[in-house]
Amino acid sequence: MKIAYYPGCSLHASSAFYDHQTKIVTKKLGIELVELDDWNCCGATSACKTDTFLSIALPARNLGIADASGLDELVIPCSSCYSRSLVAQSVLADNQELKDMINSELSKKVSGRVKILSIVELLLKKVNLPQFDEQVKYKLEGFKPACYYGCLLTRFPYDIKVSDNVENPQGLDIICKRVGAHPVDWNYKTDCCGASATVNDTEVALKLMSKIMKDAIARGANCFVTTCPMCQLNLDAYQDMVREKYNISQRMPVYFITELVGLSLGLSERDLQIDRHLIDATGLLKEIKQV
Amino acid sequence: MSTETVKFEPEYAQPLLQEIMDRSGQNLLACYQCRRCAAGCPVSDEAGVTPDRLIRMIVFGQKEEALKNFLVWRCVACYTCGERCPNNIQTARITETLKQISKKANLEPLVPKVAAFHDSFLKSATNNGRLSEMEFMILLLKKIKNAGGWSAVIAEMKSQSKLGKALYKKKRIHFGSEKVKNLSEIKKLVKKAEAFS
Ligand code: SF4
Ligand code: SF4
Repeated sequence: MKIAYYPGCSLHASSAFYDHQTKIVTKKLGIELVELDDWNCCGATSACKTDTFLSIALPARNLGIADASGLDELVIPCSSCYSRSLVAQSVLADNQELKDMINSELSKKVSGRVKILSIVELLLKKVNLPQFDEQVKYKLEGFKPACYYGCLLTRFPYDIKVSDNVENPQGLDIICKRVGAHPVDWNYKTDCCGASATVNDTEVALKLMSKIMKDAIARGANCFVTTCPMCQLNLDAYQDMVREKYNISQRMPVYFITELVGLSLGLSERDLQIDRHLIDATGLLKEIKQV
Repeated sequence: MSTETVKFEPEYAQPLLQEIMDRSGQNLLACYQCRRCAAGCPVSDEAGVTPDRLIRMIVFGQKEEALKNFLVWRCVACYTCGERCPNNIQTARITETLKQISKKANLEPLVPKVAAFHDSFLKSATNNGRLSEMEFMILLLKKIKNAGGWSAVIAEMKSQSKLGKALYKKKRIHFGSEKVKNLSEIKKLVKKAEAFS
């Protein structure tokens, strides 16, 4: 199974280990990722806030490359890149004039044929198969994750059909259960962690994170699981600041979903580079049970 | 408690309302002030203004208030208000429109660092076609210096230094930058964007 792959800037910089994990985990699952040739930055939240045209045109260039690749599906693990690309595709499907205007500048034109998948949608295709049970080497017994979807997996500033429940999504929870973890039921799974504000409006971001932390802990979670490199970095890097300011004693490792799936498939802590978290994420690993 | 009477003069209010509706693509006139948006907005405490209030300001043509309030500058674009609005009004697209109008008119942003952050991000992303986290931080610090002098830069670096060290230790800071090969294509899009706005 060959799938086009857009890593985006975070996965080539501060979250390079997520790029690495995505590649080795999907390979184990029999998926071959083909990175888009000469991809560019999608513009993320900043383009939306400053330049509406570029917020569509930048991801459109990547979509043109994907459409020309001949592959049917494009996976985008970063929630922000995923959201921006999906919005661009939908806007251009509804606006021929804008599509022509952008296409006139592109060597690889947007046709709109590629199907965009989040990492959750891609992983679900595999973990939901009965054969997956045979691949599971370890059960993540002691893991009680608060599955954190954040804003961008289910809410869009444009009419877009979502494959999961908007207010109470289940995709990550299903994957966690398939690898033997016990996700908790909690209230803040789709609340904003303020990642785009942490540097420029720190107080707001810390407060949003404190609410997320407190609810997850109150519900008995012992870690977070996410797909978004911005959420991961935010909750990982600023967690001690949040804990200090809001009197929270517990520390919570913030995993990417690829780490949980990878561990269950028998990939090691080293293979997955789990030592690159700021909040130690290796302590919980002793809770893993061989099948 | 005193109550103020709000005057509504359609001819006065119309131009601002129309401009924002056109640019944001949102039908503000559909808002019936049910405040479902307000209930879910995570920054309402800090902003002091909720999406329904912002929409009301615009409908009444209160330009100054609409541009200079904290919701415009502190909205985290979480899209909760839009998801829950029975009339499908996306306030995040209104707040981004107001930020753009404010920039175009060269108005001082209410939270300058928010504007500086997003401008620097987009600048770095379009300089190379891919974001360089280092260049982005340097551009941001330059803007902070222009606004608040070296003392502001030092304060910023101090507040980020502990985190920077921790990230560096975990190999999560990259000094290099990647460049898109077909950079001229990105430049053409940027040029078109300038003409478009
Ligand atoms: S939810 Fe929609 S209709 Fe209700 S007050 Fe907010 S913007 Fe207006
Ligand atoms: S998108 Fe902005 S205005 Fe709407 S709920 Fe989120 S923070 Fe509030």
